[in-house]
Amino acid sequence: MNAPFFKFDYFGEETSLIVAFIIGIGFGFFLERAGFGSGRKLAAQFYLTDLTVFKVMFTAIVTAMVGLFWLSVLGIVDLSLVYVSNTFLVPQIVGGLILGVGFVIGGYCPGTSCVAASTGKYDGMIYLLGIIAGIFVFGEAFPLLKDFYSSSAMGKVTLPQLFGVSYGLVVFLVILMALGGFVGAEWVEKKFSAKSGEVRK
Amino acid sequence: MKTLKLSLHQSLALVAGLLGILALVAGNPYKGNTATMNVKELGLLVEKETDHISVEELADWLIQGKADSRLIDVRSEKEFAEYHIPSAENIPVGSLFDAELMRNEKLLLYSEGGIHAAQAWFLLKAQQFKHVYILRDGLAEWKDKILFPSISDSASSEETLAFEKRKFVSNYFGGTPMSGTSSVSQTKQLAVPKIQMPSGVPSPTGSPKKKKKEGC
Repeated sequence: MNAPFFKFDYFGEETSLIVAFIIGIGFGFFLERAGFGSGRKLAAQFYLTDLTVFKVMFTAIVTAMVGLFWLSVLGIVDLSLVYVSNTFLVPQIVGGLILGVGFVIGGYCPGTSCVAASTGKYDGMIYLLGIIAGIFVFGEAFPLLKDFYSSSAMGKVTLPQLFGVSYGLVVFLVILMALGGFVGAEWVEKKFSAKSGEVRK
Repeated sequence: MKTLKLSLHQSLALVAGLLGILALVAGNPYKGNTATMNVKELGLLVEKETDHISVEELADWLIQGKADSRLIDVRSEKEFAEYHIPSAENIPVGSLFDAELMRNEKLLLYSEGGIHAAQAWFLLKAQQFKHVYILRDGLAEWKDKILFPSISDSASSEETLAFEKRKFVSNYFGGTPMSGTSSVSQTKQLAVPKIQMPSGVPSPTGSPKKKKKEGC
């Protein structure tokens, strides 16, 4: 039983912040290398001409899922200590839609806007200011939103628990979905970039 | 003959697909109700007794509000309802693994005499729980030493001095100190104090351990 390291007290709060910093830098680096520092590239996602975002994010999900699953089957990770956030179904759907709309309008998601801002892009910086303004508005309006915020609480629930199927089956289905998604994405990209008659790079 | 050549994308997709198919038969990644233990390691732990906490230590921790562990009463619900050590939570041995215990938490177990606590200790240790402690001699000792401490008439002055301290501790937890000259009749059944939280003892609902921040 080795990981998660922090939960097993292999290092303390201070060290954990340094580790988080390093992981954060790494995350930003790979986002940038994937081209996610460009609002054009991200917006192309919604014109269906370039589905890199979809492919990268789905790859990340599948990698993390397969990694966690197999490491815990091998006894290297204690899955019961890996944090699962609580599910509040309706507020999370609404929150996801708001984030999606912001993504379409602004051309960034929170992480990629930081990447864009740190590589000196003005739109990224403006987007960051927008995030901070949004946080402020949310904080001030919280008393009004509080009831909705904690509505439809389902606790810590995972897909295997929710559907009463084995963990392995969910892993298999998500991988199947991802592989299908990749093939579909390539097809959509070809179709739409031919239609729009331009190559967005 | 034409050899099948795969691009990087295709081979990665193949690996993912294979791992997914194998996942179907790999079993549950959450360790279920079976356990493996290193008997040698556990034997040495037992021998060293480093996992024993005395009732005096526990009383001190509770008074000073220093308790950083979850105090777990493994007796039945009925016994728990009659009396339990302040701040304890009730998890009978049988439902130990239904309760949401974390493997990295500090857990202090007690039962009436200590046998059930010791058995629960083994169950938890076998499930790779890292920090599990036992209250030495259990609730019986807690009642003897903490709630109803007694002193004989022929006590030396040193013993009397120590008894003064124990009287304070006893009163703090709502017990009845008994000296030889005390009016309390020895034959009288001593009533355990009503379960009342002495001020300063962290409530059982609020986790006494500082919770690590998590989430994104």
